[in-house]
Amino acid sequence: MGKTAALLPGTLDMLILKAVSLKPLHGYGVLLRIRQISGDALKIPQGSLYPALYRLEHQGLIDANWGQSENNRRAKYYTLTASGRRRLREETVGWNRLVTAIAAAMNTRSEEV
Amino acid sequence: MRSLLGVLVARPDFEAGMKEELRFHIEQYAEDLMRSGVPRDEALRRARMELGGLNTVKGECRQARGVYLFDEFARELRYAARLLRKTPGFTMTALLTLAVCLGANLTIFAVIDAILIRPLPFPDAGRLVTMYNTYPKAGVERDGSSVTNYYERRGRIPAFSSLSIYRFGTSIVGEPGSTERLQITQVSPDFFTTLGAGPAVGSVFTDAETTYQTDDVAILSDGYWKEHFNADPHVIGRGIRADGHLRTVVGVLSPGFRFLSSESQLYFPLSSRPEDRLPAERHSGGNVIQMIARLKPGATLAQAQSQIDAQNAALERDDPQAKMMADAGFRTLVVPLHADQVAAIRPTLLLLEAGVLALLLIGAVNLMNLLLIRASARSKEIAVRQALGASQRHVVSEVLVETTLLTLAGGLLGIIAGIGGIRLVAALGADRLPLGAHIHPDAGWAMVALAAAIVLGALLAAPIAWFNLRLQPSSGLQSEARGGTAGRATQTLRHGFVVAQIALAFVLLAGTGLLGLSLKRAMAVSPGFESDHVIAGQISLVGNKYPSPEAGLAFSERLTDELGHQPGVLFAGVSNNIPFSGASGKSAATVVGHVLRAGESPRANYSYGVAGDYFRAMGFSLIAGRFLTGADSRIRVRVCVVDEDFARYYWPQTSAVGHRLFQGSEAGPDAEAFTVVGVVGSVKQAGLTDDAAEGAVYYPYIYRAENNIFVAVRGSVQPESLASTLRRSARQIDPELAVNDIQSMDERIAESLVVRRSPALLGGIFSGIALLLITIGTYGVLSYAVAQRRREIGVRVALGARPEQIRAQFLSVALRLLAAGMILGLAGAWVAGKTMQTVLFHVPAHSPVILAGSAAIIAAFSLIACMLPSRRAARISPIEILADQY
Repeated sequence: MGKTAALLPGTLDMLILKAVSLKPLHGYGVLLRIRQISGDALKIPQGSLYPALYRLEHQGLIDANWGQSENNRRAKYYTLTASGRRRLREETVGWNRLVTAIAAAMNTRSEEV
Repeated sequence: MRSLLGVLVARPDFEAGMKEELRFHIEQYAEDLMRSGVPRDEALRRARMELGGLNTVKGECRQARGVYLFDEFARELRYAARLLRKTPGFTMTALLTLAVCLGANLTIFAVIDAILIRPLPFPDAGRLVTMYNTYPKAGVERDGSSVTNYYERRGRIPAFSSLSIYRFGTSIVGEPGSTERLQITQVSPDFFTTLGAGPAVGSVFTDAETTYQTDDVAILSDGYWKEHFNADPHVIGRGIRADGHLRTVVGVLSPGFRFLSSESQLYFPLSSRPEDRLPAERHSGGNVIQMIARLKPGATLAQAQSQIDAQNAALERDDPQAKMMADAGFRTLVVPLHADQVAAIRPTLLLLEAGVLALLLIGAVNLMNLLLIRASARSKEIAVRQALGASQRHVVSEVLVETTLLTLAGGLLGIIAGIGGIRLVAALGADRLPLGAHIHPDAGWAMVALAAAIVLGALLAAPIAWFNLRLQPSSGLQSEARGGTAGRATQTLRHGFVVAQIALAFVLLAGTGLLGLSLKRAMAVSPGFESDHVIAGQISLVGNKYPSPEAGLAFSERLTDELGHQPGVLFAGVSNNIPFSGASGKSAATVVGHVLRAGESPRANYSYGVAGDYFRAMGFSLIAGRFLTGADSRIRVRVCVVDEDFARYYWPQTSAVGHRLFQGSEAGPDAEAFTVVGVVGSVKQAGLTDDAAEGAVYYPYIYRAENNIFVAVRGSVQPESLASTLRRSARQIDPELAVNDIQSMDERIAESLVVRRSPALLGGIFSGIALLLITIGTYGVLSYAVAQRRREIGVRVALGARPEQIRAQFLSVALRLLAAGMILGLAGAWVAGKTMQTVLFHVPAHSPVILAGSAAIIAAFSLIACMLPSRRAARISPIEILADQY
């Protein structure tokens, strides 16, 4: 368990958008997908997943439709909308900039100052 | 809004979908766990655990979806409704209190709104003013304006954009055989321009149409046009016969046109002769013609007043009567039209408003107490819920929803009560008040009612919410567990409310007592004549048949003669005015030999022209000399009768009989002097509460003839049969004349008291409700105190306290509250009495009888209210209590 990292505040929405952008997913699928693409490093608190999904749907960033799950059960599938795709792009750019900046700052040695 | 609606419509789907989705999640997760070897039950348990509280997640999902607030509100509404249903006694009491208090307030508000608040129905109505001449030192407060005033002022007062005059009257309208008597208004050409409301069709009158030869034109009200001309679009140019003359219709007013309280159906030009417009007629207003004007934008009332003053001063310079007018204190006052119309009734209405507000306050305080008691009873539940994590916002919103639900329901009932109340005040004479005909409930009024209910709900919620929030979960639970007494603060609050209630009820009761006493004093005043078994009706001698005073006299003589021969009739007489008619009819008389003392101004007195047996018909008392008789008019002897006030003023030492006087403000040739032949008792001319004793002079009808006459008939039979006798006799002499406004003198006197009786009656109703409310309030608080201290009382009884001691303890609490309320009430009643002075008649602001009476009534009701709970306390048995507890 030592490998898992706590989720940074505000990043759950971004991760959900990313997960859904790869393939339409149901809620549980989103959970598994995030775990998978983060190399099992990120642990999503299950209680916050669904409120986040509903919030994103309410904001019009994802769309929900009922469909068949792998084991033929009725499940609600989420897909990215056009504005969700735009938002994901913005967030990705912003996130990369932040990571680069923080990494640069954290790697600074004293003689570089 | 649409998205909210969409969300609400889709709600059942949403809930089902959410449930299914979460179940799917749990099952999928559990299956994955089972695949890694976890047993099914354990897997499901862990799946649920990891998701967190299912209800919490659902709540958060709803919140994310945006239906959260509505859901929460609907839930709280259901909860509040359930709570209210569970305590029907409380709910009924609260709803009735609200219905009665809000209903009373809505009723008075409707009256105040129609009369005092709503602007007159004209554009920029705030700029409309009225002007009148006043001669205060001569006893004439208000004399209207003269035709001369109008022609001298119009166009010459820079502060006015328009100025006009009008005169109310009646007219016999229609073709011979189908005539009716209608209210009409004669107006100067610029009248409609001044108001800013011209005819919808056609045109206004022109200056050329203001002489008796050229004034055969008329403007119709919308109602008359629709009723009599079938809304004919080509009505302009058609004819209408009024008082025998054919007039041409030149205009039709718009449907909404309504001038003050007038119900005029037709408008005619206000005509005058050239000699009526001369400076000599400047002061001949007689309160018949009224003047209105519109202030120019930017001009103020003060500017208009100073311009009028300046013009008056300039004109008086050349006036031979200037000295006399100055002595009489002559001035022309400019006042806002609306305020002037309602000036007389305003203090009474404001007083009633204060009364109902006090009632509402009592009701609100009562409710607050009942709610506080309820909250105390539920404090354990609230404390537990707060301990389990109910947020402060939640606690507050729950209280708010409950009280607002209550007050809104009460508000709806109050609207129903208010509609009934408006009917009641109309029956009590409110529709006869100035501008009072338009008192009615409408949508705006109902909105005000509901808004007030919501505000009241919020106000009531505040202390309850405060109480609930102050509950410390631990202490709340503990104090309940130990069976201890309630928090000091809330008890103080409750007691404070009871004190406030008693004080307010005291003020209300004392104020009503003053009104009642004032009414009683007014009713005890003798009108100065025997008013029973007398009726009087009004006849307008119009048309071509009565061109001269002689023709009028001939009609009057024939009528009184005819009446005198009818069975049941004792005396019949005619006068151009009667007491309590509402018309003033004052003018000056110049007494021969009377020299104005320094500082004394010429006096105006009531002047009458009488024929037939007027004095005996009205039941006047003869003090000296003789009454006037029909012969005085017939053979034209210049005699007159004066009343005691007049005689006392001019001849304080000697008898008035034999002295001489002239009509008008100047002595004339000797041959025109009237010799006083009799002195009659003074009568109340305008109303019973009329304290001014200006005096009256009665002339033979022929010397003071008017086309409008009153016929007074005294009989030995019921007034109703006298009325039909009068109608029959008048019709026999001239079938075209109608007798109007037939009323017994007793009825006229009673009607003159309506402005005193109705407020006193309403005050009585308010006080009755207030007494009921304080009884309920005191009873509620004491019952609660007893219920709450049952254990303590039980223990004390077990330890040997006697029932009387227990009873005395609660009675002493009640008495302390009562005493405190009384002291505050006394202070309030003192202030109220001072404020009410203007509407009281011969009643001091602080009548000890009233104060003592109010105190006794309040004490009686409060003591009854606390008797029952105290007795219940005294009967508590310790065994029961101890059994209860374990």
